[in-house]
Amino acid sequence: MKLFKSFLIVISIFSIPFSVFAVDKSFPNDKVTMWGDYSGITLDVKLIGGAPYDPLYEVMIPIWEEKTGGKVSILSKKSHFELDKEIKQDIAAGNISYCVVSNHTSFATQYGDIYRDLNGIVPGDFLSEFVPLVLDHSTVDGRLVQLPQHSDVSNLWYIKSIYEDADNKKRFKAEYGYDLAPPETLEQWKEQAIFWSDPPNFYGTQYVGKEEAITGRFYELVIAEGGALFDDEWRPTFNDEAGQRALQWFVDLYNAQAVPAGVLNYLWDETGLGFASGTVALNLDWGGWGAYFNSEDSKIGGDVGLVRFPMGSGGKRGGWSGSHTYSILNGCPDENLEAAASLIWILTNHEAQMHEARGGKLPTMNRVWDDIASEMNAEGNAFMSDLFSTFKASMAEDAFTPPLIPEWIPFSNIIFPELQAAIVGDKTVKEALDAAAKETDYLMQDAGYY
Amino acid sequence: MNRKFFSSPAILLLPSILAIGFVIIIPLIFSFYTSFTSYKLTRPDSLFNFVGFRNYERLIDNAKFWAAFGRTILFLAVVLNLELLFGLGIALLINKITWGQRTLRTIMMFPMMFSPILVGFQWKYIFNDNIGLLNNFLYLFGYESAIPWLIDKYLAMGSIMVAEIWANTSIFAILLLAGLLGIPRDPIEAARVDGCNSWQVFKNITLPFLMPFIFIALTIRSLDVGRAYDIVHIMTGGGPAMRTELLWTMIARIGYKDANMGFANAMSYVSIILSIAFTYYFFTKLVAARRELGQQ
Repeated sequence: MKLFKSFLIVISIFSIPFSVFAVDKSFPNDKVTMWGDYSGITLDVKLIGGAPYDPLYEVMIPIWEEKTGGKVSILSKKSHFELDKEIKQDIAAGNISYCVVSNHTSFATQYGDIYRDLNGIVPGDFLSEFVPLVLDHSTVDGRLVQLPQHSDVSNLWYIKSIYEDADNKKRFKAEYGYDLAPPETLEQWKEQAIFWSDPPNFYGTQYVGKEEAITGRFYELVIAEGGALFDDEWRPTFNDEAGQRALQWFVDLYNAQAVPAGVLNYLWDETGLGFASGTVALNLDWGGWGAYFNSEDSKIGGDVGLVRFPMGSGGKRGGWSGSHTYSILNGCPDENLEAAASLIWILTNHEAQMHEARGGKLPTMNRVWDDIASEMNAEGNAFMSDLFSTFKASMAEDAFTPPLIPEWIPFSNIIFPELQAAIVGDKTVKEALDAAAKETDYLMQDAGYY
Repeated sequence: MNRKFFSSPAILLLPSILAIGFVIIIPLIFSFYTSFTSYKLTRPDSLFNFVGFRNYERLIDNAKFWAAFGRTILFLAVVLNLELLFGLGIALLINKITWGQRTLRTIMMFPMMFSPILVGFQWKYIFNDNIGLLNNFLYLFGYESAIPWLIDKYLAMGSIMVAEIWANTSIFAILLLAGLLGIPRDPIEAARVDGCNSWQVFKNITLPFLMPFIFIALTIRSLDVGRAYDIVHIMTGGGPAMRTELLWTMIARIGYKDANMGFANAMSYVSIILSIAFTYYFFTKLVAARRELGQQ
């Protein structure tokens, strides 16, 4: 019942920005418009689905159909991991004649040359509105294969009241010798997580514990610790001292029971809902949860703080980043191409990004960053204003993508079970990373890197 | 020769032969061929990159594959035996009931009506360490530690077994109940007249009559359990640290997520040895049991 309630809450929360804020169908803030008469054209599309994504389609696709006369036929709508598998099967079956597909900067490199180069299809004036770095990340082999809708990067959310409590401050200072404040370093984060923990009622922190999620988290900690996953020749280097320090951080938190016991089975929903349930002090997560965390449906509504990703010993912050995007397939018939470009325009334009941003999602257009901040300031919404200034700084100074190579997901499938093995104590940190490095070495050799 | 080939029986059988050919034989030959290639789903041209026995040679040295192989055998052995035990117990109890038997039979089949995906989600949240029903139930009785049901080395596999058994024990129960209803009453009544107690009747009459049904159920379920995927995928995804990795979760990940279909197919062909071995064993036992009963 609790789960069902949580599920309903998630659905309702992600729907809020789209139901509360009506769309101005004249799109007054979009300098470039891509309307056309597409009567008689039906675009076949495959989209990432789920509560955070569906509301945008529900608002924008009917407007597009009404204004252009075209039709959108959604052939498939599923989680990105499932969509990824489906696209791979489509490629194998030669069934890639649909027009528009959801994509992601971390996934796009795997699929070979199935996408159209959007340069020349989408007007340059429109492309120039996007953050140049995000467009760079959307480029594979010199071809712009995707148009970014919103970006991901994570920062550290915390429960404000426990940090403001005088007794907590006193106890913490006595135990650790410095003033209690949201962590600025990975070491402080670990110490504070251990300080807050009172399992099974309350945990200091948590992390996503499986699949690409934990690989990405490990990756950003390696960078923060001054290391790298690969050297210049793409040989694995993550088993060096920086990599070991990064993995040890996860192990220490797990051993100290500062994270929930089932954390290795957690993905984004579990960590987001867990933090909103008020049972976790510190939670590393993207901005898309922001409106929900601070809402009345969350047990910590009105009591949420946010700081930048703490620094590692290498003097850097974590900043594993990527963007949700849309692509047009080569198989899309030429006569549908303009309509397809128009559709991805309406899903990524200023109006669409403003609506997404009102829920906390990070825009990919420079102008939207400014406009959403102005809107939140004008409304006196200090929380959302702080959210965007914090995430804007992260996107500008900390964000980095995973290696944009086709082997990223196979690499992730090699390393994440080894990370888990170290965390649960089946292997030492060194044994686990060495084993993953050995297998990764084979992967990269087979792929012809050296 | 031609007359024989175009005879009426051959022509009548032709649609079936063609259907089987297209649906089963051609895909089998194709997938077997790909196991000798470096076929990647995302690189269709790699379909013609013949690598001989390389995939199979790599399998021999692949400790993770053999660990998953062993885990699958363990999973099969435990699940099949417990399902048999519980299914037999349920069938015997329902067979004793004289009122409401039909209703109970229908209720008993409820778990079978759920899709394995739903069963996986249901048990995943029952066993969730934080918001799960089981741990919260234990807290009511003063237990103060969150048991990591889906993480612990032994509990994780046990939790998946519980879900699998819950969902499918009724298959055993239904098949064995059918067997029980078909047992002639005369030998049982004769045994009772001769002074046999309930255990002796069960051991010497009921069980031998049931054995063919038991082996049919075991054969069907061994094929099913040997392909276990959905429930495991949802509950743990084969993790953590591969503690619950079974053959088909591993093969699906390598085939679809890594897109390494050539290697995944080589794994699949080695894996079906397991299904063939179990099926052969149970069929041998089935034939022996039928022979003992004087059936052909």
